[in-house]
Amino acid sequence: MAAVGTASTEQYNYDIVRKFSIMALFWAVIGMLMGVLIASQLAWPILNLDPWFTFGRLRPIHTGGVIFGFGGCALFATSYYIVQRTCQARLFGSGLASYTFWAWQLIIVLAASSYVLGYSQGKEYAEMEWPIDLLIDVTWVAYIVVFVGTVMKRKQPHIYVANWFYIVFLLAVALLHIGNSLAIPVGLTTMKSYPLFAGTQDAMLQWWYGHNAVGFFLTAAFLGMMYYFVPKQAGRPIYSYRLSIVHFWALSFMYMWAGPHHLHWTALPDWVSSMGATFSIMLLLPSWGGMINGIMTLSGAWDKLRSDPIMRFMIVALSFYGMSTFEGPMMSLKDVNALSHYTDWTVGHVHSGALGWVAMISFGALYHMIPRLWDTKLYSTKLVTVHFWLATIGILLYITAMWISGIMQGLMWRAFDDFGNLQYSFAETVAAMHPFYAMRALGGLVFLGGMLVMVYNCWKTIAQGKAAEAAVAPAAA
Amino acid sequence: MSHETESKFQNTTGHVWDEDLQEFNNPLPGWWLWTFYATMIFAVVYWVFYPSWPIGKTFLKGINTIEYVNDKGEKKSSSWNTRALLLQDMNEASKAQEKWVSKLAATPFDKINTDPELKAFVVSAGKVLFQDNCAACHQSGGQGKFNFAPNLTDDDWIFGGSYDAIQQTLVNGRHGIMPAKGGNAALTDADVTALANYVLSLSGEQANAASAEKGKELFAGAGVCFSCHGADGKGNQAIGSANLTDKIWLWANVPGAKSADEKVAAVKEVITTGLNRGVMPVWKGRLSDEQIKLLTAYVHELGGGK
Repeated sequence: MAAVGTASTEQYNYDIVRKFSIMALFWAVIGMLMGVLIASQLAWPILNLDPWFTFGRLRPIHTGGVIFGFGGCALFATSYYIVQRTCQARLFGSGLASYTFWAWQLIIVLAASSYVLGYSQGKEYAEMEWPIDLLIDVTWVAYIVVFVGTVMKRKQPHIYVANWFYIVFLLAVALLHIGNSLAIPVGLTTMKSYPLFAGTQDAMLQWWYGHNAVGFFLTAAFLGMMYYFVPKQAGRPIYSYRLSIVHFWALSFMYMWAGPHHLHWTALPDWVSSMGATFSIMLLLPSWGGMINGIMTLSGAWDKLRSDPIMRFMIVALSFYGMSTFEGPMMSLKDVNALSHYTDWTVGHVHSGALGWVAMISFGALYHMIPRLWDTKLYSTKLVTVHFWLATIGILLYITAMWISGIMQGLMWRAFDDFGNLQYSFAETVAAMHPFYAMRALGGLVFLGGMLVMVYNCWKTIAQGKAAEAAVAPAAA
Repeated sequence: MSHETESKFQNTTGHVWDEDLQEFNNPLPGWWLWTFYATMIFAVVYWVFYPSWPIGKTFLKGINTIEYVNDKGEKKSSSWNTRALLLQDMNEASKAQEKWVSKLAATPFDKINTDPELKAFVVSAGKVLFQDNCAACHQSGGQGKFNFAPNLTDDDWIFGGSYDAIQQTLVNGRHGIMPAKGGNAALTDADVTALANYVLSLSGEQANAASAEKGKELFAGAGVCFSCHGADGKGNQAIGSANLTDKIWLWANVPGAKSADEKVAAVKEVITTGLNRGVMPVWKGRLSDEQIKLLTAYVHELGGGK
């Protein structure tokens, strides 16, 4: 291992991967801390400190921090790692790669600061104002050049499946981000702008973006991660090459249509709604293709679930992925949506995907990658097990609370009494949700606790790797 | 990472990446493929029944139809759409309510309580209406909020507690104004202190007797307080001037004061600055006449109206 590692460090650009890995951990802590804070603000409104630290301003810091900070850095790190190793080529444009790192960190810091100061486009997951959007576009193009440049100079005849998923993620996110951010600045010295589209069209564009941010940022890219780290960690081949091809194309095609299900029962025309619902249903099996390919890769090595906590992270991630991609199409049906829409059920659904799938698969990938990046062994496998259980318990508390709260909320809103009167006022539904809001905050806190255990473990691992390197260096000199 | 030989796994595609990454050439799982086809069939059937694919400037309407009563009360039938579905749902709900709403409209206020079922309807509908529209200021139980909105559950009514008065409050809103120093800017600080002591003495609070005596003169004279609050200080509901002889305080924080001096200071503050905050918004136009009548009856019961 040591020999391979040293050689790898020379062969591949690991420096950039290390930087992104560390920042993934950093933004995970910040983003999840914000999550615990805003969950607590909902349960105990006194925690809203007007005007800078209110729920409305902190919420996009939470979502941006975990999606673009934690998720984004984890994707940069793993994609740069995987593309080099599977192409047997050093990263294309090391200066450009370095630029993507610093620019990406700047984007997240700028976005978060602007939210606290009250700047927001008011589009979910696209709250950044136009100057930040422009910086994102330039940085994203640089990312594409680095990644595709590396694929083009590969020494392998075939492009590994993980790289397909990263490429579709890169292209789709570019398309989505530019499309949804089309706006005319009010002036060159102001942060504010007029969106190009208005009303229902603007809403549709937003949710075309919003749903595909889930589809390509939080699904396709993390499937790329899965396609490398699951077979690596399991030491077994991918279950089915054919399935990977079919579900890749089906997933990429179907996702693009599913956005309208976010706008059921609104001013959106009915036919658009139907298209969104039916394509969401047809998306179920393409999504499950990834889950099957991941889980079945382990068939023949099931014993690893007992002995390897990293593998456990990956398999539980795939299970949550399968569960939430089943739940999603169900919620996209108009009649189910009539109950679930605007309730906490949606919030629970998103978190079963975000905590269960995105975070868990990233944890698995980082635990696999970090010791190899610093050419050492993981400091403690026991702590990985501790993290695994804290994360799992945290997620279960979170989504159970949101399921109960959401379904209760939906049922209370639509309840009529014998006189034909609405049975509950809005305030009564809020009061009924309070205990579940507290439970959700607790779940988030437990999950964050697990995250801190991971940071400690990784920090010790890196320190251990650096110490070994320092010991070897004088001898080599 | 263990170095596995390529020959260890049969039936792979033959590609190897990064030392040991391979893929089996397994076929698509049958259940997966057939379920995928089933979802496609579901989608096609859905498209047949419901509005779907766009064609030029129109779209496939679907074979499902829906019957509904439109805004003008006409029976209509059209291809299925969510707008009609909403009308259908709303009609259904209002049909259940209709019997009670029309009964309420036909019943004079003072007869509502003689019909237990109608009263139950008022309580049920009133609770939700009140909480969705009134509770933001008057709080969910109608208990009000100090220095903001009056308590509706006591028997003190600023603008009157009769059915008619409450209905007027809802229909046209209210705006209570007290000019600073009652409009007489010439009042000195000592005058205001004297008036505060007198006002406190009216409701049996501890007050400086000598000062209160002077305040009494000012109240009925130079302070012109009597013109709104009445010579006896009992207020005038026609203009919403407060009864100063009870122990209910909305604006001056007398109940929260820790000492006699603090009480005087609290009352002085109100007299000195006057009041322009007591605004009840206009509800006509925001709520229907029936809803206002219903809320009138509901609020009347909350405080055991007059």
